[in-house]
Amino acid sequence: MIGFLFRGLLRDKSRFLFPFSVVTIGVALVVALVGFMEGVFMGMIDMTANLDSGHLRLVNKAFYDEEHLRPLDRSLASQQETRDWLTKHSAPDVDWSPRIRWGAILDVPDEQGETRSQTPVVGMAMDLQSPDSKEVQRLRLKSSVVEGSLPDKFNEMLMGIQLAEVLEVSVGQTVTLMGQSFDGGLVADNYQVVGLVRFGVTAMDKKMVLIDLASAQNTFYMEDMVTDWLGYFPPSADFDRYEEVKASMNTALVDWMQSPPKDWAKDDFPIVLSIRDHLNIGAIMDKFMTIKGFVVGIFTFLMILVLWNAGILSGIHRYGEMGLRLAFGEPHWKLVMTLAIEGVLIGNLGSLAGSLFGGAFAWTLQEVGLNMGDSFAQTGLMVNDVVRARVTLGGFIQGIVPGIFASVAGTLVASMAIFQRSEANLFRELEAG
Amino acid sequence: MSETLITLERVSKVYQVGEENFTALNGVSLEVGKGAFMSFVGPSGSGKTTLLNLIGGLDRPTSGSVLFQGANLENMSREQLAAYRRDNIGFIFQTYNLLPVYSVYENVLFPLILNGLKESQVRERVENMVVKVGLKDQINKKPAQLSGGQCQRVAIARALVKDPLLILADEPTANLDSENSYQVLELMRELNHEYKAAVIFSTHDEKVTRYIRREVRLEDGKVSWDKHRNGSEIET
Ligand SMILES: Nc1ncnc2c1ncn2[C@@H]1O[C@H](COP(=O)(O)OP(=O)(O)OP(=O)(O)O)[C@@H](O)[C@H]1O
Ligand SMILES: [Mg+2]
Repeated sequence: MIGFLFRGLLRDKSRFLFPFSVVTIGVALVVALVGFMEGVFMGMIDMTANLDSGHLRLVNKAFYDEEHLRPLDRSLASQQETRDWLTKHSAPDVDWSPRIRWGAILDVPDEQGETRSQTPVVGMAMDLQSPDSKEVQRLRLKSSVVEGSLPDKFNEMLMGIQLAEVLEVSVGQTVTLMGQSFDGGLVADNYQVVGLVRFGVTAMDKKMVLIDLASAQNTFYMEDMVTDWLGYFPPSADFDRYEEVKASMNTALVDWMQSPPKDWAKDDFPIVLSIRDHLNIGAIMDKFMTIKGFVVGIFTFLMILVLWNAGILSGIHRYGEMGLRLAFGEPHWKLVMTLAIEGVLIGNLGSLAGSLFGGAFAWTLQEVGLNMGDSFAQTGLMVNDVVRARVTLGGFIQGIVPGIFASVAGTLVASMAIFQRSEANLFRELEAG
Repeated sequence: MSETLITLERVSKVYQVGEENFTALNGVSLEVGKGAFMSFVGPSGSGKTTLLNLIGGLDRPTSGSVLFQGANLENMSREQLAAYRRDNIGFIFQTYNLLPVYSVYENVLFPLILNGLKESQVRERVENMVVKVGLKDQINKKPAQLSGGQCQRVAIARALVKDPLLILADEPTANLDSENSYQVLELMRELNHEYKAAVIFSTHDEKVTRYIRREVRLEDGKVSWDKHRNGSEIET
């Protein structure tokens, strides 16, 4: 029966093509838009996680509370013991990286050794030198260094390209970092700028300085100490897992603090944070989900509206057929059911076509990218200047499900008229032709 | 007369038009035997279509009852009435009402599909039916490519293919010229004879009466006479 009806449906261009096109276009738009939004959003999340927050972060509470001051005296000692604990009490797929968040005055001397320019910088120290360093991969430093090279010796520095331009620093320049050491004294140490980096995030390019972890520990008198441990899940991990692991670690921490590493200060008490806790990313994430829900919802609603009308039109178009079927003894519910099945079929075909178009668009935007230039710079968010879409299974589902739903719902709303149609007038209606 | 197929007992139908009541049928009593070939005649508005509606279980009488092989349609639910039509009745309409997207073959197949049969089981039956109404060469054409007379023959095939006990036809010749009218009526009579399906049709057309074995005349919702072809005429 369905086969027979579908044969008719496919032959009746006006009945098939219009709803099919509506679903195709609707699904294509949703898939493309969701792909684009996920791309921008996930790009921001990844960038923030890689440079700044990790997915999980272990930090001394005392440091965290005054983070803007970079209180290096509240760093955590005993790297190996900490790493062992983290590995044991997080999850097997989390990778932990030690970091130092530092702040200092950066002094650029001229040929005579006099100060030419000076600026406060915030920097990050991480493992840049060991041959198997995951950080270099994580930040794609090899391809981001646009001039010079990666540090391979002590006291070498990578600098954001725009910061270098402002300070008129070029590769090979020696600069001085002046800051506070772990024990509160003033330190000054020379570094050689060996590479200029374009992170692709204006906020970073304008102010970031990266040095190797061991150099930082030496400069700031922080032997065996770091300020942060950043934990990274594989890309496939769900956001929810971040929160789960965070919660279980915070519970385990209480036990650990019964017998903390012996080199830790008495009032050292670390906490575990997730990327949601970083700046206002949690709120942004929630807003993003809401906005995405709205976008998908609005498109679904519009599709239903249009398909409903299409259904009414085709209902008028098929008035004779419906009347005939009622007269021939097909019950109302069965009529409506076959229409719903037609809706499912059209929804499926339209969704398939829409996924192909929308997916192709998102994929192109993922591979090629769209340069938004400086437009994100002002936001302070770590949004990559080159926007890339992200093709995800979820994006397809968010397009296909509403596509099929709208097709069925539109048909059903339109077919309410059939339920109200009484048999009593069929003869006379059908006489009218 | 042989076994009774349809019994109408003092059937009335009153339509409500605004405040007014309009009596379209007023105490009609009739018996229709199996395999009958009869017509309702009468002026426009006399209640012919209304009567076919009631017999076909498309509408219910205001009072009186319609019995099909002794079963009272009054006691049937909407769904049961649908099943009653599906199992027992073939419909033919003045304006043919063929489905334009389907071929002649598929239009004839249609009621069997609705009845839950598979195309592969009934292909031959449908083809034979199409041949029977003389449209062998048109079997794959669409209705738009057929003449009015051919369309009505498709409709006849469609009504007969499920082998119903009763065929209801409302003014089947009204859209046809006299040549085609005769052919269609001739065909209906032949098939009535061959398939033993009772045929009731309504018509304005006095000249078609020569094909009819029984003619019931309606006037103002009442049977004014009931004439049998074998000569006996019952005036009421
Ligand atoms: N749904 C309805 N509501 C009100 N009045 C109706 C309705 N259906 C039919 N009537 C009236 O009932 C009367 C009988 O109608 P019916 O259609 O049975 O006549 P008919 O004999 O078939 O006429 P025709 O030869 O023109 O087809 C007419 O006067 C018509 O106006
Ligand atoms: Mg009529």
